[in-house]
Amino acid sequence: MRALLCGLVLSLSAPALAQNCPTRPSWPTDDWPVQLVDPVAKAAQLKALEDFAFTLEGEDSARKGYRTDGLVIIKGGNVIYERYGRGFTASNRHLSWSMAKSVSSALIGVAVQQGALKLDDSICDYLRGFSGTSVCGITVKHVITFATGFAWQEEYEGAPQGYQVSSVIAMLYGEGRRDQLRFVLSHRAATAPGGQWLYSTGDAHVAAAVAKGALDRKVGKGAFWKLLFEKVGMKRVVFEEDAKGTPLGGSMVYATPRDYAKFGWLFLNDGCWDGQRVLPEGWVADSTTPSEAFVQHATKADEEPSGYAWWLNRPVPEHDAPSPWPDAPVDTYAALGHWGQRIVVVPSEDVVIVRTGDDREGSLPINELTHLCLEVAR
Amino acid sequence: MRALFVVAALGLAGCASEGPPRLYDQNDMELAAANGARMGCSCLFVMERDEEYCRAWVKASPNVAKLRFDSARKRVEASVFISFAATAHYVDDQVGCVLE
Repeated sequence: MRALLCGLVLSLSAPALAQNCPTRPSWPTDDWPVQLVDPVAKAAQLKALEDFAFTLEGEDSARKGYRTDGLVIIKGGNVIYERYGRGFTASNRHLSWSMAKSVSSALIGVAVQQGALKLDDSICDYLRGFSGTSVCGITVKHVITFATGFAWQEEYEGAPQGYQVSSVIAMLYGEGRRDQLRFVLSHRAATAPGGQWLYSTGDAHVAAAVAKGALDRKVGKGAFWKLLFEKVGMKRVVFEEDAKGTPLGGSMVYATPRDYAKFGWLFLNDGCWDGQRVLPEGWVADSTTPSEAFVQHATKADEEPSGYAWWLNRPVPEHDAPSPWPDAPVDTYAALGHWGQRIVVVPSEDVVIVRTGDDREGSLPINELTHLCLEVAR
Repeated sequence: MRALFVVAALGLAGCASEGPPRLYDQNDMELAAANGARMGCSCLFVMERDEEYCRAWVKASPNVAKLRFDSARKRVEASVFISFAATAHYVDDQVGCVLE
């Protein structure tokens, strides 16, 4: 009894400790403190980074080179480097493309933390109009680990087989655009749920729809903002929807680079913010460990391993695959998007890197980006 | 029982990995209009870039969509020849633009 009381007192007086949250001298809820690196002492490292990341050549309309729109490095909770390009400023939001997938999986984590769902639940428990259909064998965990089993074609503009085979383009702009959730869930099953690992913007759309279904029930409209974005000071996040109100969680988030950095900082701090758990204990570890579906069903050709829609610099011995970014620490993980969007988290160096861009001809490589940013940060 | 499940799963899957990829019924003109409207609207009202930048941002192949920005009503219409048109409008500062 006494031990119980002591435990209670401790948990009341030290919520951070009780929730196993890391402590920090300050949290960037309002904005990031700025403590830029010494431009003289770091001149060589800064030049190497900028020569690499800002390589727009000739006319902008030619769409050549690594066209960086924003680059922010956080170390120890401070902005230590920040530069914008091509007319963007610190206040412009930037399209996430597939970095949205990591946000959507985090929103599932928020829903778990809120007691609004469990990973083994059927997706049909949280989506209107699908109960009793064949998709109800799909669990929440399947959608955040790309394991729904759908015969999905992830192709983008310039797809070699033409637009007509791209599930993504059909979903965003073609026959699926008005009701994207129904479009995804009407796909043929290639395997039973859990029977394949297949990168899919459709799966991430479903994840966001499930999170919204579960959380809106609990806290009403705008749950993503109340329970995630506002908690971590991502003040100006836009999360777009289709005409049916399905959040487009595979691709259509817009935020400023500094706000994306707060999302990375949340993960760097084990899903805690200022002593409070936003994500369940163990969620970040699970998000950044190769998923069972990836280990069982992906191949070496799938490059970066993935957990809960985060991309990991982890070797996968089962695939005989080394770390995909050899010049970055092995604990590095990232949210990645089309045209070179990146949020890179390096826990062992207490660093978050955000890069927004518009690379239309080959996206800026993560290995070099991380290495050169860490050279500046060290 | 397990064998039955596998048979059922295979039945569900059909000849998934063997057959040709699914073909969707859209055409390039329709896609160009929808892309222009959605991306143009979000570029202007969510990323808050100007019209010149946004015309370049949404440029796709085939580059056939004509954009009409309506800043007062926060709408962007994209049309391709006289056959295809799409409109996106800005809703609010949480959900940004919606393709109609």
